[in-house]
Amino acid sequence: MAARLEVQGLSKRFPGVIALEDVSISVERGEIRALLGENGAGKSTLGKIVAGIHAPSSGTVLIDGEEVRLQDERAAGALGIGIVHQEGSLVPQLSVAENIFAGRQPVGRFGQVLVDQMRAEAARLIGQLGVAIDPARRVAELSAAQAQIVEIAKALSHDLKLLILDEPTAALTLNETDRLFDVVRKLAQSGVSIIYVSHRLAEIFALCDRVSVLKDGRLAGTRDVAATSTDELIRLMVGRDVHLHRQADGRVPGRVVLEARQVAAGVMVRDASVTVRAGEIVCIAGLIGSGRSEFCETIFGARKRSGGTIAIDGNAYRPGGTWDAKAAGVGMVPEDRKTSGLFLGMDIVNNIAATVLDKVSDGAKFSQAKAEALAQNFVVEMRISTPSVRQVVGNLSGGNQQKVLLAKWLAMEPKLLIVDEPTRGVDVGARAEIYRLLRALAAKGVALLVVSSDLPEVLALADRIIVMAEGRTVGTLNGGEATEESVLRLATKFTASVAASRATVGADA
Amino acid sequence: MTDTTAATQRDALLLRVVRKLANSRELTLFILVLVLAGVMAAVYPNNFPTASNMRAVLLNLAPVGILVCGMMLLMIAGTFDLSCGSTLALAGVWAGVVASPNWLGYGPYAGMLAGLVVGGIAGLINGLIVTRIGINALIATLGTLTIFRGLTYVTAGTGVTPISDEFAAFGRVADPLLRIQSLFWVMLVIALGGGWLIARTRFFRQYYFIGGNPRAAQLSGIRVDRLILIGFVIMGVLAGLSGALYAARLNSAVVNAGVGIELKVITATVLGGASLKGGEGTIFGGIMGVLFIALVENAMIINSVGVFWQGIVVGLVLLFAVSLDRFKTPGRG
Ligand SMILES: Nc1ncnc2c1ncn2[C@@H]1O[C@H](COP(=O)(O)OP(=O)(O)OP(=O)(O)O)[C@@H](O)[C@H]1O
Ligand SMILES: [Mg+2]
Repeated sequence: MAARLEVQGLSKRFPGVIALEDVSISVERGEIRALLGENGAGKSTLGKIVAGIHAPSSGTVLIDGEEVRLQDERAAGALGIGIVHQEGSLVPQLSVAENIFAGRQPVGRFGQVLVDQMRAEAARLIGQLGVAIDPARRVAELSAAQAQIVEIAKALSHDLKLLILDEPTAALTLNETDRLFDVVRKLAQSGVSIIYVSHRLAEIFALCDRVSVLKDGRLAGTRDVAATSTDELIRLMVGRDVHLHRQADGRVPGRVVLEARQVAAGVMVRDASVTVRAGEIVCIAGLIGSGRSEFCETIFGARKRSGGTIAIDGNAYRPGGTWDAKAAGVGMVPEDRKTSGLFLGMDIVNNIAATVLDKVSDGAKFSQAKAEALAQNFVVEMRISTPSVRQVVGNLSGGNQQKVLLAKWLAMEPKLLIVDEPTRGVDVGARAEIYRLLRALAAKGVALLVVSSDLPEVLALADRIIVMAEGRTVGTLNGGEATEESVLRLATKFTASVAASRATVGADA
Repeated sequence: MTDTTAATQRDALLLRVVRKLANSRELTLFILVLVLAGVMAAVYPNNFPTASNMRAVLLNLAPVGILVCGMMLLMIAGTFDLSCGSTLALAGVWAGVVASPNWLGYGPYAGMLAGLVVGGIAGLINGLIVTRIGINALIATLGTLTIFRGLTYVTAGTGVTPISDEFAAFGRVADPLLRIQSLFWVMLVIALGGGWLIARTRFFRQYYFIGGNPRAAQLSGIRVDRLILIGFVIMGVLAGLSGALYAARLNSAVVNAGVGIELKVITATVLGGASLKGGEGTIFGGIMGVLFIALVENAMIINSVGVFWQGIVVGLVLLFAVSLDRFKTPGRG
C-alpha cells in the first residue's frame, strides 16, 4: 500500500530565501510524525505546501500514491488535508461555529445557513477535544487557549486523512495539551496521519512515532522516536549542544525597582502584589486565565487600575497610558506577537524603531540611518536569521519574529522589563539565547518580570516565583528550590479552594 | 539560505517591470501622468499645452490637493474623513460671514482666521467622536457630513455674496511670472511641507505605526487616540483653509461648495498609494493621484467627450491601479 503522504524533492524559494531544498519525506497511514527544526528551518513552509497554501518551486506531493497539485487550502480540505496554522486563522468578530464552518456552512433548501445545525455540529467537534465552548460566542471573547481549540476543531471538521498541526500547544496549558494529545492519538488510531510541528521536545517523545528534522531547509534526518534521544535531536537540529538549565551566575539583587501592592483591575486582577529588584528575575506562574497577563498590562499602563498602589524606584506611579510607563522606564513584551506586538507589514528596522523613535531621530527628524544601524546591531546580536534588516517581519519565521519583538523592547533600555511568554514558538537554540539575553539584562541591573506557562522555563529563569490564581497572587517560591510540582500545587490548590468556596456560597444563597 | 540572483533571474523581465511598478504607486502614477500629458500635447497642441489651460487645471485641482494632504495622513493611520467637503463649505461660509461688511464685518483677516478655526473645530468634533466615543470613522464622518452641510445652510441659507474686495484679494493674488492664483501656491507649499513632515519626521512617522497595527502601536507607547485626534484637526484646518481661499477667489461663499469632493479626494488618495487598511502612502503619491484625475478630466473636456465619461475613466484607472497590488513583492508593506 502506498504511503499516505509522500513528498519528493520538494523545494521552495521566496525572494532572497530558500525555505526548502530537495526535501523528501513519507508518512504512513495513522502515523504521528514530528517535524522538528530551528526557527526558519522550513517546517511551516512544508506544511503549507502540503496543505495547498504555497505552490512548491519544484518537487511533487503524493497523497495515497497519487500526485496532487493543490490550488488552495480548500482544495486540500476537499482531499481530507487539514491544517492548524502556527499564527492562527480565526476571524475574531465571528462566532465560534461560523469560524469552524467558514465558507462551508450547512445550508437549507433556500441557501439559508442552518444555524442550529451548525452550532450543534460545532459543539460536537469541540466536545471531541474534551472541552466545552459555547459555539455562539464570538472568537474575540475567547482566551488564547480556547481560540487554539477552535482552530483545531476547524481542521477536524474535515473528512480527515492528514492533519498538520503547526505548534498547536504554544498557547495551551498542560491539561489542555493532554486532552489534545488524546484527540490526536484517537485520530491516528482511526487511520489519520498527523504531522506535528513543535519546539517542545518532551511533547514529541510523548506523542510521536517518528521524527524528521529539518535544518536550513534540508532534511537532516528521520529517526524513530523510541530509538533517539533529546541530545541527538538537538544536535541534528542545531548542530551543537544546547543547555537550557538553570545557571547560578551570582547576581545580587539591588534596589527595589517595582513595588506593586494589592493591585486590582477589572474582574481579572483582584489583589495582586509583587516586588522586583534591580538585577532580579521574578517569574509569575499560574494557569491560563489566572490574570497574569492582565496584571502585567496594569503595571504597564495598558489597563486601568481600580485599586492598589504601584511605585517605580520608590516613586508613586500612576500611568495614564503605555507612554507614561515608557517614560518611567517600564517596557512590556506582549504575549501575542501577531496581534499586539509586531507591525507584520513593516520591516525589521521600523518594528524596532517603534518604541525608540526619539533615539533614532536627529531632533525632530527621523533618521533612517540610525534606525537601520540599531536594527543591524540587534540582528547580529540576537542572531535573527533574515536576508536583510529591510525584510518585512511578517515574512520571518515565528521564532525570528519573537526575537524582533524582544529587540523592540531591549532597544528601549528599560529599568523594568515585563516579558509575557518570552519564548513562545522559539526553537531550543534560540530559547537558550533568549535565556542568555534575559540573564545578561538582569546582570546589567534591569529588573525583569517574566510571565510563562512553561514550567521548566520558569524554573530555569526565576530568582523568585510568584504564583497567581483567580486574579490574586497566592504565594512566593524561591527559584532555586521550587519544583514543577510545588508550583503546580500552589496554582491549582488555590483555584480548587476558590471553586469550593463558590459552591458553598451558591448553596447558601 | 540567501540566493537572490538565482531567484530573480527566473523572473521574466515583464514581471520584473510590473513588480517594480506595483511596488511604487508613485512611480506608476508619475509615468501615467507624463504619458497622458505627452499624448494630449501631441494630439491637441493648440488646446492642451497652453498657459491658460495649464493654469485652469492647476487652479482647479488645488482645493482637492489641499484636502488630499490631510486625507493621506488620516489614511496612513487607517482612518478617513468623509465630512471634509462639508467642512470646506462651512468654513467658507463662516469666513464670509465674519469678513463681509453686510454680515459681521470684522474684516478680511478675521474672516480668514474664522475659516481656519471653524475647520479646526469641525475636525476636532470628528476626532472626538471617533476617539472618545469610539464610533467608527465611516459612520462618524458620514454623520458629520450631513450635519456640517446642514449647519452651513443654517448659517447662511443662500451663501455670502459678495464678501468683500479685501477678502477676495486673498484668493486672487497671483505670482507675476506664471500668473497662477494663490490657491495653487498654498497647495504646493502644503504638499511640499506636509510631504517632508510625513516622510521624515519622528512625529508623523507614528501615524504609519498606528495604521500598521493600532494595538501594537498602543503597546509600543504611542498615544494612538491623541494622534488620531490631531490628524482629524489637521484635516479640518486644511479643509477650512481650502474653503476660505475658495470663497475668496470667487468673492462668494456658496453653500454647496465641495459637494461630493470627499469621494474625489479619497479616490486620489487611494490612487496615490494609500490603503484602506492603513500603514502606507505618501503625500507625493496623493498629489500625483490628484494631478492624474485632473488631467483625465481636462482631456475629456478638450476631447469634448461627454462629462459622464470622466467618472468611468477615473473609476477604471482606480481599479487598474489597485489591482496592480497583486503583483507586489509578497508581503511588502
Ligand atoms: N511568504 C514568505 N516570503 C518570504 N520569505 C518567507 C515567507 N514565508 C517564509 N519565508 C522564509 O522561509 C524560511 C522558512 O520559514 P518557515 O516559516 O517555514 O520556518 P519554520 O521552520 O516554520 O520556523 P518557526 O519555527 O520559527 O516557525 C524563513 O527564512 C522565512 O523567513
Ligand atoms: Mg513555523
